[in-house]
Amino acid sequence: MEQDAQLVQRCLQGEGSAWEELVRRHTRRVYNVCYRFVGNRTEAEDISQDVFLRVYRTLASYRSAHGGFATWVTSVTRNLLIDHYRRTKRDRLTDSLDDAMPVVESKESAARRPDEQALLGELSGQVQTALTRLSPELREAVILRDLQQLEYAEIQQVLAVPEGTVKSRINRGRIELAKILQQMGVRPS
Amino acid sequence: MSWTCDQTEARISDYLDGAMTSAQEAAFAAHVASCANCKQLLGSVRGVIKDMRSIDQLEVPPRLVYAILDATLGPRLTPWQVFTKWIGSLATPKFAYGAGSVMATCLIILGASGASLKKAKLADFTPSAIYLNVERQANVSYAKSRKYFMDLRVVYEIQSRLRQDENQLQVNPDNVPKSEEKQPGHGDDQTHTQPKQQNRANELARQLEMLAAEVPVTWERSIR
Repeated sequence: MEQDAQLVQRCLQGEGSAWEELVRRHTRRVYNVCYRFVGNRTEAEDISQDVFLRVYRTLASYRSAHGGFATWVTSVTRNLLIDHYRRTKRDRLTDSLDDAMPVVESKESAARRPDEQALLGELSGQVQTALTRLSPELREAVILRDLQQLEYAEIQQVLAVPEGTVKSRINRGRIELAKILQQMGVRPS
Repeated sequence: MSWTCDQTEARISDYLDGAMTSAQEAAFAAHVASCANCKQLLGSVRGVIKDMRSIDQLEVPPRLVYAILDATLGPRLTPWQVFTKWIGSLATPKFAYGAGSVMATCLIILGASGASLKKAKLADFTPSAIYLNVERQANVSYAKSRKYFMDLRVVYEIQSRLRQDENQLQVNPDNVPKSEEKQPGHGDDQTHTQPKQQNRANELARQLEMLAAEVPVTWERSIR
């Protein structure tokens, strides 16, 4: 977190390499949040790019005293995702060709056995499908808590809602997700 | 007090996250133990959380980072553009002067080491070859300079002796032998201490003077 603050300072002094380092450190998180929310790789890439454009333009407004840089970036991501959701007015994941396409393999999954990897890939697709059936409020809360594994306080900052609301959304989101997966015939672990 | 299904459902995450007091936990557990639906729901939610946390983060497409950097910092330069930009930054008088000096120094060192650029071979640039070339070049230079010095010395000695003889002639003109007065069969009047070379030199000098006196006449005749 301290390193992020230093990189931000160097960026503000016009150091391009510091910005490149920040981008490399946070692209994965942003891209994953976007992908899990929209369920489409191309859209996730476009929104990720927009996120960093906005972060770059508003970098001077970032105050480390108000929270970590990662949380701030996640807030920007969340705002753009909501904008995107309102703009498109429909969840396109279920009809997306992306569903049928394998997701990009991560380094962790590459280290697993092929059968485990295949199971995880299948599970990832099922969870992704179920996530897109959740309302945006519940979806973003579950993604931040269970996929990005943020703390409640961080989620509270990102969503800018009271702690009770965060807890309630996460709980309802999990229950909804469990019911959707059950309807899809997915047996939980 | 026993909990209802709604109460239990609303606190499932708190239970799983360990955010309950012991009394709340006991009441929650008591209801779940007695309600099949809530028990099944608890198992499902627990499974969902486990599944979601076991899913790996996706790898970022490599082009995404470059696209972001291009969109924010501007398009990146190609390697050729980077090279030409670097070369352009070197085109200053100061750098040109420095490069010229370095090149001249290298040429001097190469010349001194005896290496030929026209017939350059890789073997000429090994440390032992350079050392041998330098040593040979130093010996040749020493021999040349020594020979030049010795030549200078001989010339200087000759000049000194001639100058000395001229001085002697000017001081004592009687010492000049008069060959025209010399009679055949008679030896000259010179003492034996005078070197014969001196006589020959004096004779040559006289003949040269006579020749010089004849030259204008010859030249005038040729004009006519």
